[in-house]
Amino acid sequence: MGILQKAAKIIFVSVPLILLGGCWDRTEVNDLALIVGLGIDQKKDGQIMLTTELIVPQAVGGGKMMGSDGGGGGVQTLARSGTGSTVADAISNLQEKLPRRVFWGHTKVIVFGERAAKAGIRQHLDFLSRNSQIRLRSNVLVSNGTAKSVFELTPPIEQSSAEVLRELSESKLLMRVTIKDALQMLSSDASAAALPMVKILPPEKGKKDLQTIAFIQRTAIFKKDKMIGDIDDKLTRGVLWLRNEIERANITVTLEGEKGNITSTMLRAHTEFIPKYEKGKWKMIVKATTEDDIILNGTKLDLLNPKYTKMIEKELEKETNERIKAALKKVQKEMKADIFGFADMFHRKYPREWNRVKNRWEEIFPTVEVIVKTEAYVRRPGVNSAPQGLPEQEVKQ
Amino acid sequence: MMEKGKISTAQMGIMMYPTIIATAILIVPAITARHAKQDMWLSPFWASLIGFLIVYIAIQLHQLYPQKTLIEYSEEILGKFLGKVVGLVFLFFYLHTSGIIIREYGEFVVGNFLLHTPLVFVMGSMILVCSFAVRSGVEVIARLAEIIVPVVIILILANIALLIPDMEVENIFPIMGKGIMPSLRGAIIPQGWFAEFLLIAFLLPYVADHHKGKKWGMISVTTVMLTLSFINIAVLFVLGGITSRFIYPAFSAVRYISIADFLEHIEAVVMSLWVAGVFVKIAVFYYALVLGTAQWLNLSDYRLIVFPIGFLLLLFAVWSASDLVELTHFLGHTSPFYRISIQLGIPLILLFVAKWRKRASHQKVTQQG
Repeated sequence: MGILQKAAKIIFVSVPLILLGGCWDRTEVNDLALIVGLGIDQKKDGQIMLTTELIVPQAVGGGKMMGSDGGGGGVQTLARSGTGSTVADAISNLQEKLPRRVFWGHTKVIVFGERAAKAGIRQHLDFLSRNSQIRLRSNVLVSNGTAKSVFELTPPIEQSSAEVLRELSESKLLMRVTIKDALQMLSSDASAAALPMVKILPPEKGKKDLQTIAFIQRTAIFKKDKMIGDIDDKLTRGVLWLRNEIERANITVTLEGEKGNITSTMLRAHTEFIPKYEKGKWKMIVKATTEDDIILNGTKLDLLNPKYTKMIEKELEKETNERIKAALKKVQKEMKADIFGFADMFHRKYPREWNRVKNRWEEIFPTVEVIVKTEAYVRRPGVNSAPQGLPEQEVKQ
Repeated sequence: MMEKGKISTAQMGIMMYPTIIATAILIVPAITARHAKQDMWLSPFWASLIGFLIVYIAIQLHQLYPQKTLIEYSEEILGKFLGKVVGLVFLFFYLHTSGIIIREYGEFVVGNFLLHTPLVFVMGSMILVCSFAVRSGVEVIARLAEIIVPVVIILILANIALLIPDMEVENIFPIMGKGIMPSLRGAIIPQGWFAEFLLIAFLLPYVADHHKGKKWGMISVTTVMLTLSFINIAVLFVLGGITSRFIYPAFSAVRYISIADFLEHIEAVVMSLWVAGVFVKIAVFYYALVLGTAQWLNLSDYRLIVFPIGFLLLLFAVWSASDLVELTHFLGHTSPFYRISIQLGIPLILLFVAKWRKRASHQKVTQQG
């Protein structure tokens, strides 16, 4: 047998073997239902209702010629639900109602209904992280109503509610939590979590009821895996400071003896935590630093004067301090949920002392003395110096 | 000699790199994390001590019997009967271990990507490809490794770099909060992988510049150690306390990569190159097994038994565990002791006996003279 014949034989056998290995469970794209958003609700009888937002594929180009009335781009979405005793059960129920096989690889957003959140989210998160298709990077949120209502909307700007929530999450104005983050918070020493909470924006006049979006407005606080309450956006910013996650914020202050407001915007911010254990007392020093630009000057002050900048910095420090303290009061003293991860910080610095009290952490946490120190630096007054629209003689130098 | 190819010591070192790394980055980080927690990055350092020791033993034995492989010189050291028995133990060990490696590969591919593809098919096609490489001899495997390894290293470093935005450095603290013990306990599993460096005992006889064997062996152990430690650090920084909850933490971390909503879902690229790494690993084990078997049976050519042994490997891969849980349990509990006793224990005995024999015969010579 010649070498060519031999080679031909080997190729004949091996090429199909190598290439066809993946064809065994091949699935064509047009057999898949691409799920972008997943909502988990709990009904009164304890049953889980799962709502999925899926993309309705249309022929590229052809869709427009048919004159689709969706308004948005070429892609439309559809919400469909299934029920069952667990999420996985609900999926098989949902699958019965779908001609295509569900595919989770594009799931970007997971929303828990308020009742489901209060009943406990651990088993749902387990499902989400165990599934090999769902990504740990998907955003996790809580709805202040049902999760279903969020996905039934037809948002005017983005193509789907899931996309709206993903963009909002990633803007990091308020909390942003991925599955990974949620799992880390729940399995940490603190065993408390905070998830962003969404609310449906009331539609504008003349628009249909569903033509609106859900937006992130509050923060849901979890102890263990059960939601125990929620805080508003202002307190949430304080929480973000305490989690060293704050990225964007505008702070408005007034100076003593001056009429009008000054608003600054945050360029950079950083929070440092110094855990202390002294004489059986747990203490946490929180040092928050922010760098700001002035974006609005309603006073008559010429902001190029360093004296005024110093005054503004003082006020900014005071304001930040108050925000942080307000968040501490609500979350630490009232809700008693360690969503800041103080437990882990103490554990890292004082492993031995921590091990002695770890079982009593829930009692200790509200008694931890938190000393908040803030520092603010105004870097530049925007592109203006003296206040605009004011006669020269009225400007205070 | 059966194998006529010659490789360089550098090639040997390069071959050994994926031979250790390829499966050590799958479930080992999770098992290490379970014991060592935030000290998991230290464990590869302790584990590598075994690697250095085994390279040293293999080099010493090689210097005593420069032209022979492990199977051949164990016969010479322990005598015909005992030597054959030890050889058989080694061959069974390599048959079993290769089966497990192939199974690990299959479980990973089927568990994450080809969910409905039969395991046997995934493993069978890999064995088939490897058997072609093995039939072509050590030179071909070495050259394949030379092509694949740089890409694998670049890929690992690139992935770690891409994970930087998601890293939280404080996850590493407290360093040795509970003393040195957790990190040592975490090292028990990876040392089983470092023990696989004994494979150089099958390669050294075919190395052209064998006086450099020690240097390249040590370089190889060091790079493996650093790679494993880097991977553990990266995974720890990204996943923190939940690292041990994943079966394949490094892979879960790679799936988490997302740069600017654009560079994401890159695990398919990682996967394809990782398969190339596993290919080298299986090929090296397979080669050692086939060569050893041929030498044990005193065959004139090892090529004849490549395919039959490939079939046996497939059977062992299927038999090695009934499911992933059993496989992980074996790797996490029994295998470290199993591996160390055969890959360190027996060679150590061989070395002692060989040294003692040499000395005895030397004395005899001097007495007679």
